[in-house]
Amino acid sequence: MPDMLEITAYALQVLLIIMALAIVTHKNTGTIIVLIAVFSLVTASLYVINKAPDVAIAEVAIGSAIIPLIYVISISRQREFIVLDKAMDDFIISDDAFTGVGYIFLKRFTDFYHLELNISNDVRLCSVGRGREQKLCEETNVDLIVSKDEETGKYLLKGKQSNILMHKLKQMARDYDTIEVVTFKDRDFGD
Amino acid sequence: MIKHVILIAMLLAIYAVFTVSLQDLEQIYQTSADYFREFGVDQTGSNNLVTAILLDYRLFDSLFEAGILLIAVSGIIWISKHDIEEKNARFMLDKFKTPDLFVTFSRLVYPLMLAFGFYIIINGHVSPGGGFQGGAIVATAILILYYIDADKETNIGMIVTVEKFLYLTILIIASLSIFTRGTFFTNVFPYETSSTSTQVIYLVTLNILIGFKVALGLWAIFTAFLKEGR
Repeated sequence: MPDMLEITAYALQVLLIIMALAIVTHKNTGTIIVLIAVFSLVTASLYVINKAPDVAIAEVAIGSAIIPLIYVISISRQREFIVLDKAMDDFIISDDAFTGVGYIFLKRFTDFYHLELNISNDVRLCSVGRGREQKLCEETNVDLIVSKDEETGKYLLKGKQSNILMHKLKQMARDYDTIEVVTFKDRDFGD
Repeated sequence: MIKHVILIAMLLAIYAVFTVSLQDLEQIYQTSADYFREFGVDQTGSNNLVTAILLDYRLFDSLFEAGILLIAVSGIIWISKHDIEEKNARFMLDKFKTPDLFVTFSRLVYPLMLAFGFYIIINGHVSPGGGFQGGAIVATAILILYYIDADKETNIGMIVTVEKFLYLTILIIASLSIFTRGTFFTNVFPYETSSTSTQVIYLVTLNILIGFKVALGLWAIFTAFLKEGR
């Protein structure tokens, strides 16, 4: 009759292999992060079984807390598309709901790339003058600035030329008469 | 499909190598482990033999381990360096807003995590743990603060500077033994003359310093990650 602890250790080792394969083959990033955390927990319990509690504590703290949290932060930051709404009329918000033409257009665009659309009307950023808009795009996390051209009545969507998404946005805007996409030329950062 | 087969074959090969190499462990245990088990507690004053090896017998290795973390932090900060001022837009509809349940729970758990981290650092010479493990737990507690308050501002330069000075202090304290024992990187108090409780002072001091250094290093790393995406 083999030791109970030994059987547990073998079962955990098999579980570890299954976890490793699941991490490699899975497609959804959120699930992968949870799997990585579980992988660390299984490893930590194996360390305890092999009488190394010191290493187990380090594994639990780093492998199943810090690393998954850092992954969560980086992935959630990468998947936003941030729009600064300077027009302040019914282009995006009409009747206190997101039903404007601009919102539906941007929503179609972000759904195409599986991005999360974030619309901001931060007073601090909206007060920036027309001449400094390019600088605003470079210095902040804003991807697109929406403003209204008073003379032609067109809505201008401004973004950085280096942003690959802008090409697709230009193509999609051809179907709309009221939307014009403008790109800023990138300045040399020297890096 | 071929990729998956290659992957599984590689994993099996790694597993085979791992099991084969495990058979030499018996021999490793017999040679040096007996020495540490016999004289470890008397010579270092540490009940936890892992701490005895990390902070006394093989302190030279531990110091370079701490140095590697410092270099890693510097590398990450250098890669994610921005000269321009950071500003963040406030969102009208923030899809990535942290759930209220998580925020409340974090507020509850934060002081407990901090206390547990300090306990592990200070008790490193008695129970499993020590500077590195406790420092990692303290860093996790600090990381949770960013989930509670997303707009928290941190000065990375300050953190890294303090970390560098702590590392220098650790090096100086570790080298003090040249005056008392005649060799670098071991306990300051000679074990022939001083009691176990005197030697513990050195172990606790070094554990606390290493703990703070590791916590600051990990803090700097995830602050860099937080700023990078914005």
